[in-house]
Amino acid sequence: MITVENMKKTFGDQTVLESINFNVNKGEVVCLVGASGSGKTTLLRCLNLLEKPNEGKLKIGSKQVEFGKTKLTKKDIEEIRQYSGMVFQGFHLFPHMTLMENIIEAPLTVKKRDKKVVMEEANEILQKVGLVEHKDKYPDALSGGQQQRAAIARSLMMHPEVLLFDEPTSALDPQLVREVLKVIENLAKEGQTMVIVTHEMNFARRIANRALFMDEGYILEEGPAEKVLTDPREARTREFLALLEDE
Amino acid sequence: MFEFFSEIKWEYLYDFDLAIDSIPFLLQGLRITMIIAGFSMVFALLIGIVVGIARMSKLAIFRLPAKFYISFMRGTPLLVFVFILYYGLPVIGIEFSSAIVAAIVGVSLNFAAYLAEVVRSSISSVPKGQWEAAETLQMNYFQTLRRIVIPQATRIAVPPIFNIFMDVLKGTSLASVITVQELLYSGRLIAGRTYDSMTMYITVAIIYWLVSVVIGTIQSKLEVRYNRYLAKG
Repeated sequence: MITVENMKKTFGDQTVLESINFNVNKGEVVCLVGASGSGKTTLLRCLNLLEKPNEGKLKIGSKQVEFGKTKLTKKDIEEIRQYSGMVFQGFHLFPHMTLMENIIEAPLTVKKRDKKVVMEEANEILQKVGLVEHKDKYPDALSGGQQQRAAIARSLMMHPEVLLFDEPTSALDPQLVREVLKVIENLAKEGQTMVIVTHEMNFARRIANRALFMDEGYILEEGPAEKVLTDPREARTREFLALLEDE
Repeated sequence: MFEFFSEIKWEYLYDFDLAIDSIPFLLQGLRITMIIAGFSMVFALLIGIVVGIARMSKLAIFRLPAKFYISFMRGTPLLVFVFILYYGLPVIGIEFSSAIVAAIVGVSLNFAAYLAEVVRSSISSVPKGQWEAAETLQMNYFQTLRRIVIPQATRIAVPPIFNIFMDVLKGTSLASVITVQELLYSGRLIAGRTYDSMTMYITVAIIYWLVSVVIGTIQSKLEVRYNRYLAKG
């Protein structure tokens, strides 16, 4: 589904990603973990070209791009993005639209689909994330957990092959984290391919097939989530996990 | 102190009869004022949106001319600019069909620069996350601008835009200097004939003020409408 080869990303003279190699198979859930500043969010954002890598290759679906040689065209970026959806730490729902309007926006504006069909589908998806009764409310009237579930519904409406999550629960009050994780867990059960940047280690152990531990721009350790997040090989990974335990 | 007040000729302060008699004539002037103000608001806003967006462009061929335009228009008095249009341009063979047209062009082009700055600042005040969310939903630049950013920017822009609209209304009074018979010019005609400048200019001022109250009411209505999606309190 996703193949990343020798990806490198710098901001000015600061190297954020150093020769990253990994892949994600169809139906797999991969968690990216690591301390803040380790490059995991940047790596995730490179997968849909919200950040443009400086070197390397990215293949997603049947589209491949190479960085650093020629300039990316608009078409390259469009084609890469049609395979993925993204859920942000800060939700980023459109505040001037109701929930329903939020989630039918892209299918109508981008895909020019029939409004009636899209509305039906939207109702189903809202049902799935437990928000049907809130569909006519504005985001501002909802809790963070509800907003994040709506944001997930919004990306699902575009039928992404892979869903990218950037710390989806980090901005939430502790009691709201569970309802969002539950939705993600259900998606995992349905076989949705996902790449998740998260600090929720128990959640990651439970639902992820694989975990990548990032440290200073490298993937330091990679393997089955159970193994990497419980009994890691690297000392740095153990240190990181121990720090989280302390909290 | 009290001598100062006792020297004031209060009986000349305001002649209600003259004011009421002159209202039909002043309203004719007001009609011209409203025509200039109305067209100028529409044109200034349209030009302002284009210039404002150009000002934010990554491409220098759009950004730099927009920047220069805003700088020049904000940095020169409207009256001087109107003189250039009405007295200057005929020298090189360009003449406006009427002074009203010259006034509309002058006021529009001048206030467009201020509106461009409002457009720019309100668009940039929409959080970057909104652009990114739209991008990851595969919306393109103009779809994002039209569907996501401009509706949110509008809410922020309404109060400053209406401040500028009030300035446009008042700015139209400069058209009286190039012989346009708008509200102020009409008042001046009566003041000249009756020698009652006090009554006439107070009346003219009140009429401008009443129109501005109407503009302010429209502003409040729009603000309520654009704020409806925000939680109360």
